[in-house]
Amino acid sequence: MNRKKGLPGQIDQKLKEFEYTIDEDISDNLAVNELELRQAFANCSDLIVRKIHVFGSNLCMAVYLDVLVDDTMWDDGLLRPLVNQEAVDFDNSAQLIEQLRYKLASAVKPSVVENLKETIQRIVRGEVVLFVEASKQALSFCIKDQLHRQLDEPSTEAVIRGPRLGFIENLHINMALVRQRIRTPLLKMEKISVGAVSQTDMTLVYIENKAPQTVVEEVKQRLAKIDMDSILESGYIEELISDHPYTPFPVMQTTQRPDLVAASLIEGKVALLIDGSPIALVMPITFWYAFQTVEDYYMNFIFATLLRWLRFLFAFLALALPSIYVAITTFHSEMIPTSLTLSLAAAREVVPFPAMVETLIMEVTFEALREAGVRLPRPVGQTISIVGALVIGQAAVQAGIISAPIIIIVSLTGIASFLIPHPGMSQAVSILRFPMVLCAGTFGLYGVSAAMLAILIHLTNLSSFGVPYLSPLTPLGPSGLWDVLIRAPWKIIHKRQHQIRQKMELEKK
Amino acid sequence: MTLSRILYGCLTLIACLGLLTGCWDRKEMDDLALVMASGLDLADDNQIEATLQIALPTGIPSSLQSGGKATKPVLVISAKGKDGLDALGKLQQQLSRRINLGHRGIVVVGEKYARHGFDQILDTLMRSPESRYNSYMLTAYGTTAKKILNASYQMEIIPAIGINKLQYEDFSLSVKMDKFVDALASFGKSPVSGAIRIIKQSSGEQTFIIDKAAVYQRNKLVGFLSGTDLKAYRLMTGNIDGMRLTTQMEPPQNQYHGTITIHLMKAKPKIRTRIKNGKPEVSVSFKAAGRIISNDTSLDMSKVIPLVEKKFSEDIKKEIASTISHTQKKFKSDIFSFGNQIHIEHPYAWKTIKDHWIELYPKVPVQVKTEFRIERVGRTQAPAHQQKK
Repeated sequence: MNRKKGLPGQIDQKLKEFEYTIDEDISDNLAVNELELRQAFANCSDLIVRKIHVFGSNLCMAVYLDVLVDDTMWDDGLLRPLVNQEAVDFDNSAQLIEQLRYKLASAVKPSVVENLKETIQRIVRGEVVLFVEASKQALSFCIKDQLHRQLDEPSTEAVIRGPRLGFIENLHINMALVRQRIRTPLLKMEKISVGAVSQTDMTLVYIENKAPQTVVEEVKQRLAKIDMDSILESGYIEELISDHPYTPFPVMQTTQRPDLVAASLIEGKVALLIDGSPIALVMPITFWYAFQTVEDYYMNFIFATLLRWLRFLFAFLALALPSIYVAITTFHSEMIPTSLTLSLAAAREVVPFPAMVETLIMEVTFEALREAGVRLPRPVGQTISIVGALVIGQAAVQAGIISAPIIIIVSLTGIASFLIPHPGMSQAVSILRFPMVLCAGTFGLYGVSAAMLAILIHLTNLSSFGVPYLSPLTPLGPSGLWDVLIRAPWKIIHKRQHQIRQKMELEKK
Repeated sequence: MTLSRILYGCLTLIACLGLLTGCWDRKEMDDLALVMASGLDLADDNQIEATLQIALPTGIPSSLQSGGKATKPVLVISAKGKDGLDALGKLQQQLSRRINLGHRGIVVVGEKYARHGFDQILDTLMRSPESRYNSYMLTAYGTTAKKILNASYQMEIIPAIGINKLQYEDFSLSVKMDKFVDALASFGKSPVSGAIRIIKQSSGEQTFIIDKAAVYQRNKLVGFLSGTDLKAYRLMTGNIDGMRLTTQMEPPQNQYHGTITIHLMKAKPKIRTRIKNGKPEVSVSFKAAGRIISNDTSLDMSKVIPLVEKKFSEDIKKEIASTISHTQKKFKSDIFSFGNQIHIEHPYAWKTIKDHWIELYPKVPVQVKTEFRIERVGRTQAPAHQQKK
């Protein structure tokens, strides 16, 4: 296996040796098997090895990790039926295994394993492996303890109207949440595991015939190329399989809402659910996705269109308002109405810093306050708002360090950045705000427009799994326009989608 | 795209930004002397005296700086120089902040200077990229620009903004610099501007009034239009916003004053020209409509509308005809741009007469036709205070 350079060589070596030694078949001797496993799980206090007699006097050995196995299931579902079997004599061990599989088929999903390495993998995933004396086969039972929290409302994507269920950290339950919404065998869920050490499970979800086969293949290929020791969150995957890892803009949708995933799947997107992360990835997406919420489709379409435009407007403000303010006040004061000029000049009269420095100070302070608000423990959280609002907002103005218009601009910008539904887009806008202010402070509106142009060029160059980022606006396609600038009524969206599909099928022929 | 390509792209962009900027004019707002109005006068020694009214942001009361000693909201300074820019340069030497003309809304020219002619200043006003064409041109009536700019005004914190608003509302006559220069530069039109003067209220306070129009011939002031002349001029330019006309319909009686007042709603002046035997003739037709807003006669408005219409029509005709003859005889200045109309309608004939149009204009025969229509009479027919019989 090709390991990453960054990993210390020692661990590297150990892993290699380990993989080598255990890559062999199960022995027909219970004691040998026990020894092998005990060696593999040396210093693992949670490993349990139990010898039991089934069907009278046939000796078996159950091996499992105590912490991962559901105790009641183990007791009632497996151990009791095993021990309480009537005594039967078998000609060979294969018959015994056959009988066990048949008798215990109920709840514990038995399956046969023959390889020691696979056995170990099953054990670390929380299965119980039952070795039978004088057999080269073992039985594996899945009685995993489902460690998970209660289903909950997603706190980052709250809605007024719409389902309150959100994904949790358990892959199994997340898959169920999606399945529950799309009841068709065409909904495919392919299991993939990534991460050399962590062996993280993830499920690739798509609807056959709707999701383009090329995209599905592309996602699979990129996942196969990942060479990492561990995948602990969907953020890893987002970065690793992105078309453009160096852009601040998000090229994948991240969501905690099963209804959003279901809606995207129906649109022909591909979703990736990752074990241990409540955030699902949806791909490919375009720039406009970042300004849509799932609630847009649940409420009145006129109001949803209004909201969409409000988001576009405020996204622009979040990006450009501070820089436009800096540019106009320091370079083009004649552009402002006279009376406003006078009050702005009066506010600036006592301030020691140039407008650009002032803006940068306040923007940095705002970002710091925001970050502190996220990290602070909840009981202390109020302190931040008091300190932020009173000390920085009021006192700084009264002390004549910061002018009042800057406070207005920065707080408006702050509110504006929270209006963008996609957190990744919101972050991108926050990052780009700073170079914009610098451009504005050095080159005025000329600099602002140059920076905007640069951003636009960058955006047109982006793509998400082969889909141009700004489509259907550039390149112009009639298809999605009904759902980009406005939220058309469902009847129209639905009709349009049908027409496009028919057209595509015709083109195929 | 590789990282180095992005880097090169950024570097090129920054280099472009640096090379392409023509003017580096970063100025913080608190480093600017915001000129609100400027004035130009002819000093005794034939030098030009420039006056600036500069807003002082510290003097503007705001919620943050309540209390304390009130400072003056404006600073008015003057200096003499060979021309406007020379004087401006001398003014700059007195100021710790840079003179910024971006917000100048008013340019006042003293009467003496206006009568002397001020071509050179106009060039400065038009040429400098900092000065804006949409400043209002005003001529000081009977006084100097310096006195106008030094006067205080109660209604606004900054007097120049008061003048600006007076002009913006267009209660009398407002002419912007570009329009003024445009008229000056064309043969078939003479420039006019609003004329401002200071009056003393009974309380002793000063205030501005713009109730006259300054009439120029070429670049020299030749006189002022006021009262009905100004009204007729405004009618002829179609600028009738809020204009009222009053006529004596009946001789005054005990109970009634005999007057009717209308509010003008529409005015449509039309100038037609003819060339007869190589000589131009002008006919003016004027159509207007209004509503009656006051009736102080014994007449019932529902019955006498044609009579009232005729009376107003005659009144307007008289006023317009007399104003035109004024401009012909007294000022010899074609402020109604009859010349331009000849240019449009008879371009070939215009070529022969345009050079001596100024001499020709006073002799051009002008016919005036008017038509007046009353569109509404208001809520009552007879006068409200008429006793019921």
